Amino acid sequence: MMSRTEEDFELELRSLPGVLNVGITKHSNGDVNVVTLVANSKDPLATRSAANQIASLYYPEAAVVVEDANRALIDSQRGDGPRVALIRADYDTTDGFCEVQLSIEGRTGIGRAGSGPLIGGAEATLAALRDLGYDVPYSLMTVTNVTNGRDWPVIVTLRSLANDADRFGIARSEDDLVSAVKATLDSLNRFLSTLEGRV
Amino acid sequence: MRKEGDDDSEATATLTSIHAREGGPDFSSEGYEPWLFQTMLNELSERELGVGFIYSILELFATRHGLNDVAVVLVNEAFGTQMFRLGGEPVTADMAAHLNASPGVYCEPDTVPSPECDAVRTACQLALSLHLARFSAAHDPLTNISNRRSFDEALEVAAARSARYGWAFTLVLVDLNNFKAVNDKSGHEFGNHLLRQFGYALRQAVRQGDTAARIGGDEFAVILSNAEGHESSGFTERLKGHLVALGNPVEFTIGTASSPRDSTDPSELLRMADSRLYEKKGIRIS
Repeated sequence: MMSRTEEDFELELRSLPGVLNVGITKHSNGDVNVVTLVANSKDPLATRSAANQIASLYYPEAAVVVEDANRALIDSQRGDGPRVALIRADYDTTDGFCEVQLSIEGRTGIGRAGSGPLIGGAEATLAALRDLGYDVPYSLMTVTNVTNGRDWPVIVTLRSLANDADRFGIARSEDDLVSAVKATLDSLNRFLSTLEGRV
Repeated sequence: MRKEGDDDSEATATLTSIHAREGGPDFSSEGYEPWLFQTMLNELSERELGVGFIYSILELFATRHGLNDVAVVLVNEAFGTQMFRLGGEPVTADMAAHLNASPGVYCEPDTVPSPECDAVRTACQLALSLHLARFSAAHDPLTNISNRRSFDEALEVAAARSARYGWAFTLVLVDLNNFKAVNDKSGHEFGNHLLRQFGYALRQAVRQGDTAARIGGDEFAVILSNAEGHESSGFTERLKGHLVALGNPVEFTIGTASSPRDSTDPSELLRMADSRLYEKKGIRIS
């Protein structure tokens, strides 16, 4: 049975404009782990921000994912599959480890790796994808932080384990870690949706 | 109940049965299956119906009919379209795009007679409406914290416990400084934005078990459980910190009264806290 607090939490999230569905995933100890919203919102960023605020009041540790129902419809019409979303990326400066949490269709995967925010971020992303059940036949070759004076995109190169067909990804975000994660996902863009081995 | 080994995407793809009924909910017992009516009565006897009831119903419904998956799509006047899936699992975005078509109960496999699906949908609609009504009655719509009515109830309960068992609590009244001038200068929309932020900061600043409420236009109140008057400084510092983090420029003044030290009478506690608040503001009241 849901507690009154859980019920009110879900009701508040459902009261946000455009929210169609709320899914709550819990740890085995009962703590709320991930809150997934499917929204038909004109402003998904505002929805995400408001949902994060509400979640921080009830369950500060929970990650919030907002999926856009409109985009899914467009993707399905284009033939694309659902997308892997970044939930959070943390870098612990004390031990140099990165932890990346990804989500797709309400499932989440977590990966950890050392070696700082750039290499660690990319390796943790690959680990999180494998935790999600993807068989990713690539290894990390390079992670480059390009400094050109205006912005600092990160370029990730993955080397195929089967042949020499490398994959490249580029992204620029608020920090190196998130850029490395997004560049890694970018390098695998349109590859993940072709995989049969997903859980 | 979902069966082990079931494939999510297959279940999603086959959730296609739509059982929709025109018109409003049927509140009579004849409108429900006996098991459903009994479940509603059981839940009502334990507590009021809410979102949790919807998941309880979906669980029972799936178990009763051996369903792999079930979702209900409702249309609520205040919320618009709402989807609930068995076990509180997230509806995928693809699934949402598919289910968005029509309110109803979507079953996998589609083996359930329509009347029972209709009854389930109506019961879920009722639960959502009741939860919304209950929440709205107790909360301030702008800030989503407790409203005056539920605050008064909470204060009476706290004061009665304090009188009976000696449990200490502190009542904190919070008044925003010069808020009328902000409203006049920057407009009510901006003023409402600041109030929403203030409500959010207040919710962050209180501990679990405390009560935060908006009791007037720019007046807020907090019941700090197990706290003597001097312990309210921690709350004040937390509140200031959260306001700074939000970039909210509003300043405030507080007045406190503690029970049982000052009084165990709710009206007297309010009067004392109010008097101390106005003293701090340099305003004398008769």
